[in-house]
Amino acid sequence: MLVLLFILFAGMAIGCALAVVAQRNPLYSAISLIGVFISLACLYVMLAAPFIAAVQVIVYAGAIMVLVVFVIMLLNVEEEERRRQRLKFLVPAAVVLSAVLIAEVAFILVTVQESRVTPVSDGSSVGLTHSIGSELFTQYLLPFEITSILILMAIVGAMTLARRGGPLSPNARIVPGATQIPLSLVDPAVGHESTLAVEAETTEEAARLLGLNQLHEPPKRD
Amino acid sequence: MDTALDIGLKLVAITVAFTVVILIVAYTVLAERRILGFIQGRLGPNRVGPGGLLQPFADLLKFIFKEDIVPDKSTRFIYFLAPVIATMAALMSMIVYPFGPETRIPFTDISLPLTIARLDVGLLYVLGVTSVGVYGIMLAGWSSNNKYSLMGGLRASAQMISYELALGLSLIGVILLAGSLDLGTIVERQSGWHGARWFIFFHPLGFIIYMIAAIAETNRVPFDLPEAETELVAGFHTEYSAMKFALFFLAEYINMFTVSMLATTLFLGGWNVPFAEDVFGRGSFLFGLVSAIGFILKIVFFLFLYIWLRGTLPRFRFDQLMNFGWKVLIPFALFSIFLTATLIFLFPGL
Repeated sequence: MLVLLFILFAGMAIGCALAVVAQRNPLYSAISLIGVFISLACLYVMLAAPFIAAVQVIVYAGAIMVLVVFVIMLLNVEEEERRRQRLKFLVPAAVVLSAVLIAEVAFILVTVQESRVTPVSDGSSVGLTHSIGSELFTQYLLPFEITSILILMAIVGAMTLARRGGPLSPNARIVPGATQIPLSLVDPAVGHESTLAVEAETTEEAARLLGLNQLHEPPKRD
Repeated sequence: MDTALDIGLKLVAITVAFTVVILIVAYTVLAERRILGFIQGRLGPNRVGPGGLLQPFADLLKFIFKEDIVPDKSTRFIYFLAPVIATMAALMSMIVYPFGPETRIPFTDISLPLTIARLDVGLLYVLGVTSVGVYGIMLAGWSSNNKYSLMGGLRASAQMISYELALGLSLIGVILLAGSLDLGTIVERQSGWHGARWFIFFHPLGFIIYMIAAIAETNRVPFDLPEAETELVAGFHTEYSAMKFALFFLAEYINMFTVSMLATTLFLGGWNVPFAEDVFGRGSFLFGLVSAIGFILKIVFFLFLYIWLRGTLPRFRFDQLMNFGWKVLIPFALFSIFLTATLIFLFPGL
């Protein structure tokens, strides 16, 4: 029974992984990748690690791949053209790298077979939420905290990049709602060097914040 | 227990649970039309059967026999796949909910809990499966090759991703209180004190945030931007017809049902009915029956709340929706975690 399930999920994972590479349409590739993640989650469940399986589905299938599919949909990427001539030099590299990969897998298999088995005290409870949590906050506290700081840095970095007031396109206008605009857009006399930015709900508020008295005519553009 | 008997019981449990849920969902649609009619001063469907009670079956027949139209320029495979994903993801979360306590079946010695599967990570399973449901809507919007569908799909996915964060954060207080991710344990921790131990009393802010985020997750009024009729025709399912449309319709109502079920399980004590244990005694058949009925009634209350809101509130604007989700709900959800953690720290024996 378990063997049958393993063959089913492993086959699904390998099939989907092949489809990721073989598909020409990027959206089909992304959907196949979701299939890989979900079949891997099923394999984790079979290995008595339900927590990892749930997190795998939530993080990879539910969050990361949603963003990938989102971007593909927004960009409306067309089917990839066949460019065999340009990528031909990659074929020997791929052969070498896959040989290395197969050698690694073979090495791991041999090592696992030869190593002595040391039974875990209670194998069934290792993958459960409680044991993962207690281990994470006692024995592996330092790596856990370092990872947290890494993630915090990534969040701050993403926010900094998103909030950076870059140069706007010439046809940008002040729209009601919190919009950031550079000073040069409201007052052309300042020139494009000024990077002072204000946040305003209306045009009048922006003018008041920037210290401009009259703002009756729209900025001239040639 | 015998393996064959075990599997047989599970199959029976799955059939019963799914039939009950689908029936309730079907009648939610009818109730919605009748109650909206009442709110708007008209009758609503009342011709098919006594008081319109057979209307859901008439609708189903209509959906089955309608012509299935596939747009010429659509991406066929994904167009077909999208409603399947939406419905499957909606139905899959059903299996972990405890419908009732451990109950002895009459005339036998078999005693079994009224739940299909009890997972150690039940709550995470629910969140994972619902997050997969987004794909159904996204892919439907994309594959229809229609600008209204695409806009609806994008809106739906942006909204669901944003509100999923607030929803997840509002649940952390419950996990702290229960000390477990298993839905069965969470419900058992809320029994006793004659109903005063429901987590809504310890985590009220989280409950309010959960309800708001859940309504946004299911794309219902006042958060029904993805289907805003005045702007987007019908949103992501504009091009869908016949049974494929019915599947999306079904998925939306099952999702309403599951978030109501989650609210009941996590905040309103699940199957715990005040004083039921004193009257019937734990483990008896009547206790199980009363508990299961209590559970269903609490869900029905939430479903009524959905319909009531739809008849009462206007729609958000999209930038308001996003600002509200990110700048109001998430900070408040973090604050509610802080409050509940403080409560647990001050009263450790809670």
